[in-house]
Amino acid sequence: MIRSKLFVVAAPFFLLLFLNSTVFSEEPSNCLYCHGAMKGQIKAQSGAMTELNVDAERFKASVHGSLSCAECHLRFSDGSHDKKSQVPANLMSLSSKISSKFRDPVAGAACLKCHEDIYQKVLSSVHGLNITEKKQKDGALCLDCHGSPHYITKAKDGKSPMSRKYQVETCGKCHGNKELVEKYKLEENVMDSFSESFHGRKLLLGHNRAPVCASCHNSHDIKKKDDPASPVFGNNRLETCGKCHKGASPKFVPAITHKRPGPIPHYGEKLLILLTMGTFAFIVVHVILEAFSDIRDSITKKKGGK
Amino acid sequence: MSETTTKPQSIPEEIERFNVTFRIQHVLMFTTFLLLSFTGWGLKYAHDPEGLSSVWIRIWGGAETAGLIHRIAGVTMLLDFIWHVIYLFYLLGTGKIKIRAKTTVLPLPKDVVDVIKNFMYFLGLSKEKAKFGKFSYAQKFDYWAVFWGMFIIGSSGYALAFPMQIAPIVPEFAAGWIWELLGLMHSDEALLAIVFILFWHFYNEHLKPEVFPMSWIWITGKISTDTLKHHHPLEYELLFPEDAEKEKHGQEAK
Repeated sequence: MIRSKLFVVAAPFFLLLFLNSTVFSEEPSNCLYCHGAMKGQIKAQSGAMTELNVDAERFKASVHGSLSCAECHLRFSDGSHDKKSQVPANLMSLSSKISSKFRDPVAGAACLKCHEDIYQKVLSSVHGLNITEKKQKDGALCLDCHGSPHYITKAKDGKSPMSRKYQVETCGKCHGNKELVEKYKLEENVMDSFSESFHGRKLLLGHNRAPVCASCHNSHDIKKKDDPASPVFGNNRLETCGKCHKGASPKFVPAITHKRPGPIPHYGEKLLILLTMGTFAFIVVHVILEAFSDIRDSITKKKGGK
Repeated sequence: MSETTTKPQSIPEEIERFNVTFRIQHVLMFTTFLLLSFTGWGLKYAHDPEGLSSVWIRIWGGAETAGLIHRIAGVTMLLDFIWHVIYLFYLLGTGKIKIRAKTTVLPLPKDVVDVIKNFMYFLGLSKEKAKFGKFSYAQKFDYWAVFWGMFIIGSSGYALAFPMQIAPIVPEFAAGWIWELLGLMHSDEALLAIVFILFWHFYNEHLKPEVFPMSWIWITGKISTDTLKHHHPLEYELLFPEDAEKEKHGQEAK
């Protein structure tokens, strides 16, 4: 079943192999002629699945809609298309550093061409180092947060995975993923603690100034929480919290944390719940019994009240 | 007091139970209470961006506006409470009210006995309901619940609304857990307060057969002497001792 499907989608793909390489001009419409119509995924030599379809309309509407395909697809390392451009040396060396992450690391490195500053920040961030040094496959790089490069929209645009609406969900793909949290020893309760916090609740209710992840943790140059360069490390929080809470003091900043509540709030709450349930039990029993006795009295009308 | 005591007392149709100051304080209290409950509820149960809470908060003008309403109502309620306490001290200091067992709102051992008596009556184990002074235990409970609420919800709410002003006075050792605790106190006890009002206050002052749809004392401030005689017999005895005496003898003669 899957095999036959693959064959169907692969058919036009084989056709392309026989076409003269000049077909691949710089015009995206030429690539989209096929990729706009193709459906399904194809298995590359490395074993990764590659989506063949490019939605031409969404691509045109994206921030990269004016770029030509070859701007990033400088070459096809799996040989799927006979296309070889000169790859600049800096891209070449970057592509070898991030090769664990990409089927086509040159295309993955191509973001550097326009976004050099930001890419450098990412590479020195905890996310970047995880890929360049630890050679991990499942860590985050550009596309894990921003989505497919073909459809990137501005973060201010409501549909972007980095928008206020979706950012928490996007970070949660990894930070709320049990296996990854265990593997990388991440703070384990971040998603729940955020959604239970005042920040999370307000964001959920549509508060326009409620913070999202990047508001406190920064975005591209994200650091480990115990890195002195992290905005949430020690007294750096005074400045970080102070962005919204003017005059944030050392005794104010512990108000928001991803840690589970300590013993005092924990047992304090248990005590309050006990008190609430106790009072609740008393008043409900009292009200119900009194109501029954009022009904009983009105039926029997035993004594002349008036 | 010289001659009138010798003559039979004339019983007025109704007497004043709450003066206009108390009535205004009560109106402020319940108005702010409702506003706080409505806006706070949305925040407490915010779980889903398209959920009921979000729709509810949109009705209140969105998260920012609802938050502003909540803060204004909270401060107003605290001021109302402070006004009430100062006013009570004023009344006590000038001798306009005196603390007497039959009229005080202070909890007394008798109230515990009354609760037991009433439970016996509800269960059919006794033929007599408890006899109350000016304030029954239910009313005292209602009244002191506000003090508890102010102490727990009011103080934590104030700290959460103005954390910058409160942070400097937080002791060093408490800074790590106090905010979490304040949040829990505020939201858990607010739930208790809402449940309390819904069951206790609503039953006693609205749904009970003799007051339905509501006791009008909150507007008029007046209670009919007839109601007083039945619901607050001990206060009635205190105010109209002769009539109460007569009644007693009359009943005994029967």
